[in-house]
Amino acid sequence: MSEQELPLEGIRVVDLTHVFAGPTCTRILADLGADVIRFEAPSRLDVTRNLIITENDGLDHPWHRASYFVIRNANKREMVIDLAKPEGIEIVKKLIAVADVVAESFTPRVMENFGLGYESVKAIKPDIIMISLSGYGQNGPMRDFGAYGMGLEPASGISSITGYREGPPMRSGLSFTDPYSGFMGAGAVLTALAYRRRTGKGQYIDLSEQEAAIPVLGAALMDVQMNHRLHPRRGNRSDWAAPQGCYRCAGDDRWVVISCANDVEFERLAGAMGRSEWLTDERYATVLARHKHHDELDAAISEWTSQRDHYAVMHTLQAAGVKAAAVLNGKEALLEPQFTARKQFDVIDQPLLGKRLVQKHVAARFRRFSTEPRRPAPLLGEHNDEVLKELGYSDEQVAALSEAGVIGDTPKLPVPPQLISMALKLPYEKYVEAGILQAIEPDYREQLGLAGG
Amino acid sequence: MPDRALDGLRIIDISQGIAGPYATKLLADTGATVTKIEPPGGDYTRGYGPFPDDTPDPERSGLFLHLNTGKRSVTLDVSVTSGQVVLRKLLTTADVFVTSERTSTLKAWELTYDDLKSDFPELIVAQVSPFGATGPYADYDGNSLTAMAMSTIMYNTGEPDREPLATGGEAGAYVAGIQLWVGILAALENRARRGGGDHVDVSMAEAVAAADEYNAAMYAFQGAVRRRYYSRHIFGYPNDIVPCADGHIVLIPGASGFPTPLTQDSLSPMALLLEDPELNKHPLFISAGERMLRWREFDALIEPYMSSHSAMEIVMTAQALRMPFAFVPTASDLLQDEHLAERAFFARVKHPGGGELRHAGAPFKMSETPMTAGPAPRLGEATADVLTSDAGYATEDLTVMSDRGVI
Repeated sequence: MSEQELPLEGIRVVDLTHVFAGPTCTRILADLGADVIRFEAPSRLDVTRNLIITENDGLDHPWHRASYFVIRNANKREMVIDLAKPEGIEIVKKLIAVADVVAESFTPRVMENFGLGYESVKAIKPDIIMISLSGYGQNGPMRDFGAYGMGLEPASGISSITGYREGPPMRSGLSFTDPYSGFMGAGAVLTALAYRRRTGKGQYIDLSEQEAAIPVLGAALMDVQMNHRLHPRRGNRSDWAAPQGCYRCAGDDRWVVISCANDVEFERLAGAMGRSEWLTDERYATVLARHKHHDELDAAISEWTSQRDHYAVMHTLQAAGVKAAAVLNGKEALLEPQFTARKQFDVIDQPLLGKRLVQKHVAARFRRFSTEPRRPAPLLGEHNDEVLKELGYSDEQVAALSEAGVIGDTPKLPVPPQLISMALKLPYEKYVEAGILQAIEPDYREQLGLAGG
Repeated sequence: MPDRALDGLRIIDISQGIAGPYATKLLADTGATVTKIEPPGGDYTRGYGPFPDDTPDPERSGLFLHLNTGKRSVTLDVSVTSGQVVLRKLLTTADVFVTSERTSTLKAWELTYDDLKSDFPELIVAQVSPFGATGPYADYDGNSLTAMAMSTIMYNTGEPDREPLATGGEAGAYVAGIQLWVGILAALENRARRGGGDHVDVSMAEAVAAADEYNAAMYAFQGAVRRRYYSRHIFGYPNDIVPCADGHIVLIPGASGFPTPLTQDSLSPMALLLEDPELNKHPLFISAGERMLRWREFDALIEPYMSSHSAMEIVMTAQALRMPFAFVPTASDLLQDEHLAERAFFARVKHPGGGELRHAGAPFKMSETPMTAGPAPRLGEATADVLTSDAGYATEDLTVMSDRGVI
């Protein structure tokens, strides 16, 4: 890969995060040029090393073959260190002494127990920037709550305004606040770095995943205060635009979204659909009127879209100046022409897995540098020796640490990881039967143009 | 008064809507001087509400006030040449120029990065657009919903037999705003080291697609096409919102909530929660796979307990049993929440045009440079001040511009 200067070159990040939010934050810092060194323990692997195993067999070194892990940890180095041993903590402290940023995502008491709370870390490196990404923050009655990503979107209030009309609150089909907080955490660190550049001072950042996402409820919070009214769940409808919705298209489970913000856009929609009579129909004359008659409009739009391919509807309406987009599944996104033109997916050459497509984590495209991964995701403990040598450890000392089980490169778990990974899921054919998966396509690497990589 | 992280940074912001203004709100709340350039009719969110008593008033739109704390407002019509001349004067002292226009519009206004870079070599031009500044869809229009649609997240949200659902609250636009903010800060860091401006080009669709958890990955690594199934994770049931006596809770058993090969001899936290030791041997407790496929039977199994206990009882008991259950609060619940109150999350802001309101506070707490939200500006309240002191115009010039409708 080409040598280029990146914004965070020379910034070293000690990464004690795991799973989704924290690793997303540090992946962004890594993509911007930071040297991110992540940590796992031999007896406590990142659980995502067991999620979405490539080819779904789970038998051969599953911890090196989990796509979930690869996506969030490309561009990083890794050490596997037993933090229950004082020698293990000693290594982390030596690294902190030469680091700029410490990131962690344990529940609040854990870092203190390691002797790695902010005050201790600051004593080692006075201008350190430390960020804690937790479910509910570092203080308050819920600080010790166990928190998984799937609970934090509801806890932030977003689920209370997500769902079908008249239906129950719903989660998004992912742990939404995890990537959201990861992006936010990266910006928080960049803000603190800007301050340190100007003043030489580091600081501590307490990011509560629940709080970080509450601003999405901005309008709903105001409505409660202004009108004592709770924002209803309204499917895909808008408080403002009408019509707006998600409409069935021709084919198996194909959909398109359409939104008309104002009268001009509605006239364009009517024109594209050949419904010139709508222009003089007083039921549709204003946004308010269209809100009132939304069901009728939806029925007419659905009838029109259901005869057409979702992409055809998108291109036809966009050509007419109407906001529209095909609703994409994972395969379609990988093959999407706009995404392809702008390299939304980078090719990572991952040991044991070959060339794979992984989405960009920094959404911005820059003229002066690009954020494509410079290295694949690390194997377990891949950089133990390399980092220890950088810290001045001798070959003999490294061997002794390995001998004593302070560092390692294989899991030491009470049950084989293979067993855990197989217990987590059924054969995928059963998921297809149940409707949880739409299809399994054995020739997918050919379809993605990465066969034999 | 504590230091502010971005003191001295100057932003000229012509963006409207949610994504651009949220990015510049994050910059304003951390200390940057954000001059919000609004068309003479105002940012269109001034017309969106919610409004007190549902009475439209451009100074009292809840969404506008939420997104524009701590900014200065200047009215200026940048769609006409005379407005563009004034804007260029303002850019001479700016670090970042933020826009939410598509490239075709910026070209017409001669305000693309390429139009500006020779006159403003240190300027960072930050552009958030529905599909990005380049590529076959560069001129396509869109919003939060089109971004959600392209992201794969929407396809996987909702019930299997119904239409895919967008995440509520225009969430896609907020994600794009955060990614725009990250891009601006990265370009500023690069400039601080090496000098020179840059183009920060954020596609709303790509920003949300960057948040995809494993939809694209399941195809890229396994050839599997995931589809929505009640928004559920493929990692096992429930991990989902379930009804209880007085509302809903999130039932998340966690790593050891159900019997595992290591813990099968002791009573599992789920059996303890449901107060039924026999459940420990139930096939739906022992096999995650069976639970996933026969979820309706599992729902029936837990229904008597859930329907007879409150959210508070269930979540507190589950947490005591070390299962990461969660609440499902509404906006109103959050405003009254004790945990958020103890963390002083909500911030009271007194707006010159809109009275005092409690705002969603800092999305992260900084120990040395706490974020603070100032009042949102009235339309054009800083026009005269900014044009005379920052752009060097005389008061008479302003009269002429005002007469011509430029400001």
